[in-house]
Amino acid sequence: MGKIRVEALKKSYGANEVLKGIDLEVKEGEVVCVIGPSGSGKSTFLRCINRLEDMTAGTVIVDDRDINDPKTNINKVRENIGMVFQHFNLFPHFNVLKNIMFAPLELGKQSEKEARATALRLLEQVGLSDKADAFPSQLSGGQKQRVAIARALAMNPDIMLFDEPTSALDPEMVGEVLGVMNDLAREGMTMMIVTHEMGFAREVADRVIFMDGGYIVEEGSPDQVFGSPKHERTISFLEKVLKA
Amino acid sequence: MKKMRTFFIIMSLLLLSISGMPYLTASSAAEPASGKTYQIGTDVTFAPFEFQDANGNFVGIDMDLMEAIAKDQDFKFEIKPLGFNAAVQALESRQVDGVIAGMSITDERKQKFDFSEPYYKSGVVMAVREDQTKVKEYGDLKGKKVAVKTGTEGYTFAQSIASKYGFTIVPFDESVQMYDDVKTGNSIACFDDFPVLAYGVKQKNGLKIVTKMEEGGSYGFAVSKGQNKELLEKFNAGLANLHANGEYERITDKYTGVNAEEPAKQSRLGLMVNSLPPLLKGLGKTLLYTIISLFFAFILGLIFGFMKVGQNKWLRSIATVFVDLFRGIPLIVLAFFIYFGIPQAFGFKMPLFLAAVLTLSLNAGAYVTEIIRGGIQSIDRGQMEAARSLGLPYRKAMIKIIIPQAVRIMIPSFINQLVITLKDTSILSVIGLVELTQSGKIIIARTFESFIIWAEVAILYLIVITILTKISNRLERKMSNG
Repeated sequence: MGKIRVEALKKSYGANEVLKGIDLEVKEGEVVCVIGPSGSGKSTFLRCINRLEDMTAGTVIVDDRDINDPKTNINKVRENIGMVFQHFNLFPHFNVLKNIMFAPLELGKQSEKEARATALRLLEQVGLSDKADAFPSQLSGGQKQRVAIARALAMNPDIMLFDEPTSALDPEMVGEVLGVMNDLAREGMTMMIVTHEMGFAREVADRVIFMDGGYIVEEGSPDQVFGSPKHERTISFLEKVLKA
Repeated sequence: MKKMRTFFIIMSLLLLSISGMPYLTASSAAEPASGKTYQIGTDVTFAPFEFQDANGNFVGIDMDLMEAIAKDQDFKFEIKPLGFNAAVQALESRQVDGVIAGMSITDERKQKFDFSEPYYKSGVVMAVREDQTKVKEYGDLKGKKVAVKTGTEGYTFAQSIASKYGFTIVPFDESVQMYDDVKTGNSIACFDDFPVLAYGVKQKNGLKIVTKMEEGGSYGFAVSKGQNKELLEKFNAGLANLHANGEYERITDKYTGVNAEEPAKQSRLGLMVNSLPPLLKGLGKTLLYTIISLFFAFILGLIFGFMKVGQNKWLRSIATVFVDLFRGIPLIVLAFFIYFGIPQAFGFKMPLFLAAVLTLSLNAGAYVTEIIRGGIQSIDRGQMEAARSLGLPYRKAMIKIIIPQAVRIMIPSFINQLVITLKDTSILSVIGLVELTQSGKIIIARTFESFIIWAEVAILYLIVITILTKISNRLERKMSNG
């Protein structure tokens, strides 16, 4: 049984159709990397999975719950899907600890004591134990993104969505964030990652999806997609990014 | 956050206690044990018929007559010093039961009002600056400007001869402004009722009368057409009695006779000191109305602001209409519409307090709505998305994540709105609200000392606004330090 099932997903902004029919199934513990040129609909696709974007047509089923069903409480579904954004989106008026503790406390998932313990454990996991009292404005980009990952993990989700998590980082900080993600993948987290880090995708992904023009053009194991891509557009895309 | 909450609780308690009081007292005063208390509208600055003396009491021929007639006929009344135009409009919209304001009986007014027997014979004269020697008759006015007060006999007269003698008319709302315009030389002369000008000259208003009194109309006490018949009858009966027993003559002599009081000699400093208590009282009213109105403006702003950023298309449209409407109507028009227009259309009495608060709240509410909308929309979309992605409902995300950040952005705009609304209260003097500006006008009507009093009023505004700004800035710093 798939953790995430997407069927015939379409999304339009006015007359502009961004997703033209996407089908995908992600199994429990699977790490799926989504690659493709900008404007191909990768991020929109990802954001449809926790309904940050409302879809125009099709079905998305997460943990056997149809997220578009009026009977589904989308907030409950989201509690189980962590999301990490390109621009971190940390809460600037809270310190690091409060950023991580906020959702579990606010939603009554953990007591104050538990939430604090969880937050400190997660900070250790992402290597930022010394930053508990710092405010987001005092952190580097890489540190911010690691806090953002800890914040998403605090709700103890089964699924993590990463929307270009390293695109806004200086190159020397990309490694620390990918390292944390790599650890997560090893621990068996179900992950969908929109990324431009081809090396990372090749190393960590169980499956790579190449999107272009609102379709999934090609998918397969990293070796298949990177080693012997079949589709012409995949080949030309990989040529461009790997050369650069 | 805790500090903020206590602050708001204290504020709202304070406001409730203040705003509740006028209603309670007003409702108990509306129905006294013995008969009805008539609401009588009058001018504020029409010496010697009505003006405020140094003790803050309204005195003058009209006031003394009213007092004597009420005593003679045994009825109760309450004076509403609204200003002439406001008093007339208040009568039209039945906000008051009668008007006594040195009002000439004209055919036009007879269409809307029922008048008493004439109680004073008047006529228009022309006055010029006391050192002016070249202008002695209407013929000397060619190509010049002439100051008049709107709605007066003097205005009508000036209009009737303006083209014949080739002068232009500059209209004012207050006698004092008209005199000042002549004194400063902008206008060469002014036209006004003889007793008024004569009294002013006697009080050293800096003018002199240069023409004989035109054959003019008579003053009458007015009620709305077909309304308050018994009041009119009592007035006429009382007036006849006063004529008979010599009281009438005593009253008019007191103000216009040879033995009429000369102004008490007062130094400029003395005037400043003496006028301070009534001005401070006016300032208190200004602050009170500002705070109450901003409180309600804030509530309106919260409601419509959130409607504007919300997802419901209909609520968004309603909020947009609200903002466009009340931001688009000039405050003075809104005040007139609420205080005179609405009651006239629907036939009920609108308390001045309510009209003033409504006007300011609706106007400021539109601006506060925009401040709140702007503040919320200035927060990066990613903040809401991050909160929602964690499973937080919209409301919780709004309250805990968006609003705390938005408030910091809004505070400077709120301070700005506070200052604007505080200054805007002065506009409500047009519907007779005795706040700081109107208090100043009233004192000038008696003393003719425009420079000193307006300077004093301006300084009081400056002091208060500076203090409020400083307090707000401190609050802002505290907030942004977390």
